[in-house]
Amino acid sequence: MTEIATDNRPTLGVFKLASCDGCQLTLLDCEDELLLLAEQINIVHFPEATSPGQHRGPFDLAIIEGSVSTPEQLEEVQQIRGDARVLITIGACATSGGIQALRNFGDHDEYQRVVYARPEYISSLATSTPVADHVAVDFELRGCPVSKIQLLELITACLQGRTPAINNESVCVECKRNGTVCVMVSQQMPCLGPVTHAGCGAICPAFNRGCFGCYGPKESAATESLAAQIKAQGQTDAEIKRLFRLFTAGSEAFSTESQRHE
Amino acid sequence: MPTEGLAVLLSLLSQQGFRLVGPRIGNGAILYDQIETVDDLPVGWTDKQAPGSYRLEKRADNRAFGYVVGPQSWKKELFLPREVIQQSSLETGAYQWQPVTAPVSPTAFIGVRACDLAAIGIQDRVFVSAEQADPAYDARRQSAFIVAINCTEAGELCFCDSMGSGPRAESDFDLCLTEFDDYFLVETGSEKGAAIARQLPLKAASDAEKSDLSAGIEQCRQQMGRSLNTEGLPELLFGNLNHPQWDKVADSCLACGNCTSVCPTCFCYSVEEVADLGVGAAERERSWDSCFLQNHSKIHGATFQSEIKDRYRQWLTHKFGSWHSQFGTSGCVGCGRCIAWCPVGIDPTEQIEAIQQDAAEPVALPVYRAEAPITDRRNLFESTVAKITAIKAETDDVVTLALDLPGNYHYQQGQFNMLALPGLGEVPISVSGDSNGQIEHTIRDVGAVTAALTSLKANDTLGLRGPYGTAWPLAKTTGRPVTIITGGIGLAPLRGVMRNLAKQIRNPDSEWVSLVYGAREESGLLFRDELEQWQRNPAIKVAVTLDRASPGWSGNIGTVTTLLQRKQLPVDGLYLICGPEVMMAAVIRQLNEAEIAPENIYLSMERNMKCAAGHCGRCQYGPYFICKDGPVFNYPQLDFLFGQQGF
Repeated sequence: MTEIATDNRPTLGVFKLASCDGCQLTLLDCEDELLLLAEQINIVHFPEATSPGQHRGPFDLAIIEGSVSTPEQLEEVQQIRGDARVLITIGACATSGGIQALRNFGDHDEYQRVVYARPEYISSLATSTPVADHVAVDFELRGCPVSKIQLLELITACLQGRTPAINNESVCVECKRNGTVCVMVSQQMPCLGPVTHAGCGAICPAFNRGCFGCYGPKESAATESLAAQIKAQGQTDAEIKRLFRLFTAGSEAFSTESQRHE
Repeated sequence: MPTEGLAVLLSLLSQQGFRLVGPRIGNGAILYDQIETVDDLPVGWTDKQAPGSYRLEKRADNRAFGYVVGPQSWKKELFLPREVIQQSSLETGAYQWQPVTAPVSPTAFIGVRACDLAAIGIQDRVFVSAEQADPAYDARRQSAFIVAINCTEAGELCFCDSMGSGPRAESDFDLCLTEFDDYFLVETGSEKGAAIARQLPLKAASDAEKSDLSAGIEQCRQQMGRSLNTEGLPELLFGNLNHPQWDKVADSCLACGNCTSVCPTCFCYSVEEVADLGVGAAERERSWDSCFLQNHSKIHGATFQSEIKDRYRQWLTHKFGSWHSQFGTSGCVGCGRCIAWCPVGIDPTEQIEAIQQDAAEPVALPVYRAEAPITDRRNLFESTVAKITAIKAETDDVVTLALDLPGNYHYQQGQFNMLALPGLGEVPISVSGDSNGQIEHTIRDVGAVTAALTSLKANDTLGLRGPYGTAWPLAKTTGRPVTIITGGIGLAPLRGVMRNLAKQIRNPDSEWVSLVYGAREESGLLFRDELEQWQRNPAIKVAVTLDRASPGWSGNIGTVTTLLQRKQLPVDGLYLICGPEVMMAAVIRQLNEAEIAPENIYLSMERNMKCAAGHCGRCQYGPYFICKDGPVFNYPQLDFLFGQQGF
């Protein structure tokens, strides 16, 4: 095994805010590649993978999973940004607010009263928001969870100083390259593919389901035109609203579109 | 040939070692997939198509080819959706790109309709007829066996009749079938096809059968669900770049890229660097790209087609317009796939009709010039290793690299090379001069690859392919005043010209050279030693201007246009311009006002060159590929488009 020149390796910190840990698990899931990665990068903070212990920066690279959902997290993201040379956020929570952003559409106090016996013990923000709403982020990696291949590509590109080969195209392009037949055209099935950021490899349409939009809106997401077509194909406003209110409901494009169908 | 003859044909082709690809039902559509026997064919099925809708239905008969076209085209077999095109290898201590030559399995295409046959011909013009062939495409194309199928029925979205690409397959096939209820008519189109035909259970076609064919073709023409008036269409589209219909269609277009993906002729591709954590070889993978995707027109600091409107207009004006100038044909074969497979059912024939009904005057477009047949094709992806012999820091973020190149390397001023660092990427950089046999590149650190290039050291190596593109018209510089107007890094592609002019003995009264050079600030000025040298030359006037003056700066402040006094602009002079496009546009406005003949104005439009062979489509600018028709253009070539937003 290659001897590690510990001191010269860039440092990595992995942080978690409001999230399910699935994206951090994706990093652990890298297995073989994780060993290679560990040779080239000094992982100094990774609560999901290490015993408790507080390491503060500076970090050459900081990765944040999860959304900003509590007042403490609001402070923590400022701290992490201050400690990090390059900051990347990973997953639907960190990049759009996650499924917990559904509360952005409701009454936060009422939710607390209904769910918790002693709501006064709960300290959370009225909204769940992406990290980039609060601090500058160098790269947002989409997905729920993120793709292992894209995560490795992003970290590798950061280490090698090149532009990551991560495209901001639609899911449709992935479907077409894969030879998957469009479920919307051939079966009139509602699908968010045309307005959703690629990266998952277009899994759902390959299994005869419409895209759920896990990767969030692509750039220039023409949600209004897509929703009109889905409606013309027989879906109700309520169904269309639900379609745009999943893991990336908090993204601007999807939240605006869902509100049009309230 | 009796219907049963089809099984014989398939088994003959299999026996000859062909992999068979033909129509097969999968996921609710008729796909072009690997098949083995007639049982795999969609016997008794048809497709019903409408804008944004496609579904399979049973036919009343048992025809094997009783459908129109599905979501896929043969392009997926020739121009693969994804393909590794280069691999790095460590040779003589330097990483070098090697073209990848994947083994080709000869494929028989079963059931190629006339429109798709025309589409293959159109892609051939892109990938193999040009100066540089795409080796993998070429190999697959050469080894293919094509069984065409004539259409006797048309679909709701078909308009090949309008595009002149069908419904009858006229040539470019090995065998052509026409299917009737209980027999096939078989035509041979090549020696390969004839050899197979000799082993088929054929009998001579009767007159009645022959008239069935013409009746079938005629019936098909009558059934076409769409039509298009193509008369003068390219010129009309480019005369209507600001038609309100573009805004209208942009309201529904999703910019999802489905139309370009299903289009059998769309050829644009993107190339990504694929490098792992350092164990495997770095690779370059290309994949289908689309002019509807933001990255297609994005370079560092600019996105040329940022709005959906820009992208739709780019696609439509290219497909039905500028394609003619580029390749001598329309880019549309009338197959209707883009209408069916658009999730919101946008129909380009309707868009064009709307423009035609309320059209402004057409504009003239460049005429297609057929390229001479190529005998000794260059492999597009072949690159050489260049060693850095000297480095000069020009400014904080600009360096000049001097490169040692093989003796057979020749370039002209204005051309560019593709510089590559395996694992990082490849960028187009103009040649900024040469001395003692060394080629020089002056590079500004703006992105990942240029950052790495500008931090290279002497004796480091890089991959280089080129030179590419057009050159400055040096022959036109004699016997007249020459004015060179540049901004920022734009001086680099003109430094060679300046050096050349400075060496000549020029009459300061009639052949003076005027260099007008603008930079953001004093510290950003390039080639300062040479600027001073040129200043001392009696035939050369150098005028430098800065956006922001630094203490002690006694020269001009302001844009380059402030230095272009009308009385100092010789009417018979030659004007060479290179800089940011906004600067060039402002300069050209001023030259126009000074009544300088447009023929005497040349400009370099370097932007977004990627493959450098006119294949990948990235650097398209209306009818031009900047990488091969440019980067240096004579202004009248561009005047109908220059400054138009969204191109």
